[in-house]
Amino acid sequence: MSERPCIEVRAVSKTFRDDGRAVQALADVSFTARSGEFVTIIGPSGSGKSTLFNLISGLTEPDTGEIMIDGRPVRRDTGLVGLMPQRDLLLPWRTVLNNVILGPELDGVSKRAARRRAREMMPLFGLAGFENAYPDTLSGGMRQRAALLRTFLTDRDILLLDEPFGPLDALTRRELQRWLLDIWHRFRKTILFITHDVEEAVYLADRVLVFSARPGRIVKELTVDLPRPRSSISLLSEDLRRLEAELLEALEGNGPASTPERVESDPDGS
Amino acid sequence: MSTLLTRPVARRWQTLFQDVTRALVLVVVGGLALTMFVTGTAQLVREATETKNLSLEDIFPSPRAIAGAWQAHQDLLLQQHIPQTLWETLAGLSIALVLGLVIAALMDFSTVLRWILYPILVVSQTIPIFAIAILLILIFGFGTGPKIMVVVLFCFFPIALNTFAGLQGADPELISLLRAMGASSFQTWTKARLPAAMPSFFSGLRIAATYSVVGAIFGEYITAQYGLGVYLKRSYSSFRLDQAYLAILLTALLSMLLVLLVNLVERLTLRWYYTARRASWRGPGIY
Ligand SMILES: Nc1ncnc2c1ncn2[C@@H]1O[C@H](COP(=O)(O)OP(=O)(O)OP(=O)(O)O)[C@@H](O)[C@H]1O
Ligand SMILES: [Mg+2]
Repeated sequence: MSERPCIEVRAVSKTFRDDGRAVQALADVSFTARSGEFVTIIGPSGSGKSTLFNLISGLTEPDTGEIMIDGRPVRRDTGLVGLMPQRDLLLPWRTVLNNVILGPELDGVSKRAARRRAREMMPLFGLAGFENAYPDTLSGGMRQRAALLRTFLTDRDILLLDEPFGPLDALTRRELQRWLLDIWHRFRKTILFITHDVEEAVYLADRVLVFSARPGRIVKELTVDLPRPRSSISLLSEDLRRLEAELLEALEGNGPASTPERVESDPDGS
Repeated sequence: MSTLLTRPVARRWQTLFQDVTRALVLVVVGGLALTMFVTGTAQLVREATETKNLSLEDIFPSPRAIAGAWQAHQDLLLQQHIPQTLWETLAGLSIALVLGLVIAALMDFSTVLRWILYPILVVSQTIPIFAIAILLILIFGFGTGPKIMVVVLFCFFPIALNTFAGLQGADPELISLLRAMGASSFQTWTKARLPAAMPSFFSGLRIAATYSVVGAIFGEYITAQYGLGVYLKRSYSSFRLDQAYLAILLTALLSMLLVLLVNLVERLTLRWYYTARRASWRGPGIY
């Protein structure tokens, strides 16, 4: 694992405004990720995690601060990273196969070659036999897997995965976690991975970033010094449990109630 | 609810004012519509009962009379009038289709063009076509041109407007995702906006198809040598209501066939849309 910073987020804040109401999503967030590092991000709902991904992928710009990828400021340059959004966002008019080759297609790769590669991956994602199905006829978990495959096939060195395994069953989840760790290791990807699952956050990561409730800031950075490959360690191991407990503590110390609300009316209606 | 109480007093009065205004406007508009409906219907009934100079048989000829008219004029209709009307309809509809798509695309691409084109679009629909028809004859002569133009005028509006709405209605998150994947604006257009607009485009096309035959007949009615419109006009001037009904029936038939054609093409191209809507093996529900 090289020490070169691959993603650098420097003092980034972001506030959303619409008609007189301001919601601060991110407040002074700074961190770096080295090339080939696996960083998981965990934090309460509404703490600006997805917003951070939008900033890194160049869809919006931060109010203050700067984001660098491979030493170059991102600003509004899109297409540098592979983004898997929280909603699957498959194109409803395309079959599963044509959905997952969207990335290479946009990059100008021949559709035939892209399809061949995609077909090979289908069984691993449990999508074999559904190549020609439309997304609307799939289950929620299958759609999520298709979206993950699409992100993987975009072939970017940096992957931003927003709760990719949220709606999956425990078994598929575990299988895909192993697969993800495997391709991460084999292809030397840099991965930022948002999750709400404490165990998943520790199991996958080199480092866990804990976000506070809105406005999101990083309240804890936890280095996970468990041996790799992770599949070799027992899920009941002491170290794993200790790290999970530490993480939970950091999360609980920053529950939604303890953070002062900066907005005059809560947009979540809670 | 607690947010309502903590709001400043001025804001609360403002919301109250807005609620009252909304209720008032709704009551006035609703009342007006109801009054117009009642008085309008009364007017219709009165006038219909007052004018009773034609017998019922004259107004509604028997099916046999209509069949007789068909037998008498079959060759003429099949060889001259119907092909002429059909040609005008299809030519006009095709031009309207291309024109509508181009206008929708231009309005979608640039805000400036939207500001310019939208009023023109609306105004083009408020001008009485009859007034324009004379102008068209001056431009295109007495041939088929003016009729095709009338069909275009009738048809491009629903296509342009519906397609534009469809293009604008594309899921913004989907477009954001494509941008995040590095798509150019042309790519987001062809791969997300245009496919998303297809269902709306087809409902516009369906409306246009129903208008198109009527448009052609309208054009022919003003002046023409051949066409169902001319046939209709001649039938009326010679008080042959059986023939007039035949013309009306044929017009309806042609319109219906066109709509069916549009439906067929829609089914074939929007397979995804219909699998999503009637996933028969799954039944209704949210998955
Ligand atoms: N476009 C926007 N306009 C206004 N407010 C926004 C916008 N996008 C996000 N927000 C607000 O910013 C805050 C952070 O949103 P974000 O989606 O980043 O949260 P999150 O950490 O991803 O939450 P979750 O875990 O529920 O996905 C929320 O309070 C949200 O209401
Ligand atoms: Mg989120």
